[in-house]
Amino acid sequence: MANLNIDSVKDRTFDAIVIGSGMSGGMAAKELTDHGLKTLILERGRDVKHIKDYPTTNMYPWEFPHRGVIPMDVQEANPIINRCYAFREDAEHFFVKDHEHPYVQTKPFDWIRGYQVGGKSLMWARQTQRWSDFDFEGPQRDGYAVDWPIRYKDIAPWYSHVEKFAGIAGNRDGIPELPDGEFLPAWPLNDVEQYFSDYVKKNYKNRHVIAARCAHLSKPNQIHLDQGRAQCQERILCQRGCPFGGYFSANSSTIPWALKSGHATLRPFSVVESIIYDENKGKAVGVRVIDSHTKETIDYYSRIVFLNAAALNSNLVLLNSKSNRFPNGLGNDSGILGKYFAFHNYSAHIGAEVEGFTEWTTDGRNPAGGGYIPRFRNVYKQETDFLRGYACGLSAYRFKQHKTEGAGSELKENLVKGDLGPWHVGSHMMGETIPKEINFVALDADKKDEWGVPLLNISVDYDDNDMKMQKDYIDQMTEMFTSAGFKNITPSTNHQAPGLDIHEMGGARMGKDPKTSILNEWNQVHLCKNVFVTDGACMTSTSCQNPSLTYMALTARAVDYVVSEMNKGNV
Amino acid sequence: MDRRTVLKNLAIVAGGAILLPSCLKKPNDDTIPLKKIKLSDTQQKLVGDVCETIIPKTSTPGAKDLRVNLFVLKMLDDCYTKKDQEKFVAGLTEFDDMVKKKYGNAFADLTDKQREECLATLEKSAKPVTIPSKSIKPVGEGQKSIEPPKKKPDVPPLPFCYQAIKQQTLFGYTNSQYFMTKLIVYELVPGRYNAHFPVKNLKNA
Repeated sequence: MANLNIDSVKDRTFDAIVIGSGMSGGMAAKELTDHGLKTLILERGRDVKHIKDYPTTNMYPWEFPHRGVIPMDVQEANPIINRCYAFREDAEHFFVKDHEHPYVQTKPFDWIRGYQVGGKSLMWARQTQRWSDFDFEGPQRDGYAVDWPIRYKDIAPWYSHVEKFAGIAGNRDGIPELPDGEFLPAWPLNDVEQYFSDYVKKNYKNRHVIAARCAHLSKPNQIHLDQGRAQCQERILCQRGCPFGGYFSANSSTIPWALKSGHATLRPFSVVESIIYDENKGKAVGVRVIDSHTKETIDYYSRIVFLNAAALNSNLVLLNSKSNRFPNGLGNDSGILGKYFAFHNYSAHIGAEVEGFTEWTTDGRNPAGGGYIPRFRNVYKQETDFLRGYACGLSAYRFKQHKTEGAGSELKENLVKGDLGPWHVGSHMMGETIPKEINFVALDADKKDEWGVPLLNISVDYDDNDMKMQKDYIDQMTEMFTSAGFKNITPSTNHQAPGLDIHEMGGARMGKDPKTSILNEWNQVHLCKNVFVTDGACMTSTSCQNPSLTYMALTARAVDYVVSEMNKGNV
Repeated sequence: MDRRTVLKNLAIVAGGAILLPSCLKKPNDDTIPLKKIKLSDTQQKLVGDVCETIIPKTSTPGAKDLRVNLFVLKMLDDCYTKKDQEKFVAGLTEFDDMVKKKYGNAFADLTDKQREECLATLEKSAKPVTIPSKSIKPVGEGQKSIEPPKKKPDVPPLPFCYQAIKQQTLFGYTNSQYFMTKLIVYELVPGRYNAHFPVKNLKNA
């Protein structure tokens, strides 16, 4: 028996354990195995194999029983996930249904989750922008949160590193506040988008409308072909999973890459209960897993742990990793774990009609989605009565218009015939929110899930700064649209709860001081040096870029650091 | 076990949401087993006749040829709230009564001309139907903005019923394989994006 146990422990021992297999966990696994580390990848959901497990990917519209519409009983049973734009008949199997994994909302929060190998990287919107020092220096300059322990120069090479691997399409726009990267060719702006871009350039200082940068292979390099991926075919059915691997997902890229190395073991159906802390050794020694089917508790051991369960669940795992040394959660002497949680402000939209350009249209589809307006407010100096600013999406489009009056043969003809309607232009805001102590997540005192893990209690809300920013977005965009000559300008605000932006961040923020932060400049838990958190939980502030690229760059950087530390015998 | 239960169980075995293969369908193509909305076979046929009047067989197939009538029934059964389903049934009953009162006959027994005349009356009271565009809207997270539910004016049952049938008929017809392959060209794999494309070069899509 003793021998068996020893063998069993040996079988359950790895160099590294990665908790989570999505955007950042996949990158952690890829980087760790590239260094030859024997790595266990834990995923709480099922496996989703590239291509094989994309059941709807090649379906035509008429092959969906409800042509894409989610049946009403499913909608009514799942009000939270039903608010997500991508929760449609073609991708609903990749989203967590409300009842499957409950959580407690002290304040309304739409928690959008994908519990499977690949996580939300399967269904993400694929927009990728770098941060600049205007972002990293924000908290220090404007006096909120804590100072980021890193600057752009620290992360820049790692942006390059992950961009080359993932494949990012974009133009080198030469904008200091949105640094250029290692780009594949961009998808171009259409006529109206280009007109607006030119107009803004001519008439507004330091405002730019650029082609959106996105994680699509416009022109694959050898490294992408080596991953088994091919050129993006402009289907824009990405949320189904792409049989070409045309956009970056952990499923098409980092996870199979890690597995191919022979150094990785992937264990789906593994709910992480906690990270195991050994008081004698003064560090983490492994991870306690509950098999989601058998409910059996299994301990896995490793020299280092990467926590990449996505921002909220990474907070949950740390909070639930209690020991005599850390009664309030791993590394949480300061008591700030779970606090200073933030998100992105997506609360406004603006649309307009555009006269002219009638001779022109587009043909095919644009995976980048159109244009992007980097943050222009409060960049070089504070200029408004609110802190920070917002980026904006920008896209122009026109559709064929059909007469639908009447019934009979004429109607039938009208459904085929039809003239192109006028151009429309639309934009949405993506605002920075200020992390605050009162916006927090915590373990619920009473409720547990079916594996005995406490439910997460979320208490996050907008504030005055967000509402002022929303108004400014509408004022500025209305003014820009008006002066550019757009008509029928229709701004709108929504009352979506935090979370539906799917950019939840913070709770285990990076910082210089263990008293005011959980992680150091290497995403390493200040008080438990062999645990690294490199997903959204690490974010000190949110800025307004789409965050996935930054998580991946931080992950690759942290792996590089820990490998050199291991080689020196420091971890 | 009655026939309906057998069919339902077969459907579950076949994967729940997947449409029954044609070999398992009832011999007549006017009705489907309904789970929620309460429509008699006669009422189901009435819905089908309205569909066929909206999209009649001409030199190209009509709603029934393309089974759009069955799609409309499926959507009514699966994709409406209970309240709206009840309103629909009330509207359909009202419609049936109205037709019988005016023509002394059921809709099924009217001439094509009379049927069109009936619907023309309803068109006036119903608001215009919009069909979801076949063009793919630009991607990007703007789509996730959700407007607060606007107070919809309470549409009375009869126009509601007609609007629902028309909306779903046009939705089903323009998303049918026939329409998307023979009348327009739906491209699953465009393989291109031309951002600056002359309208005059546009093909039928």
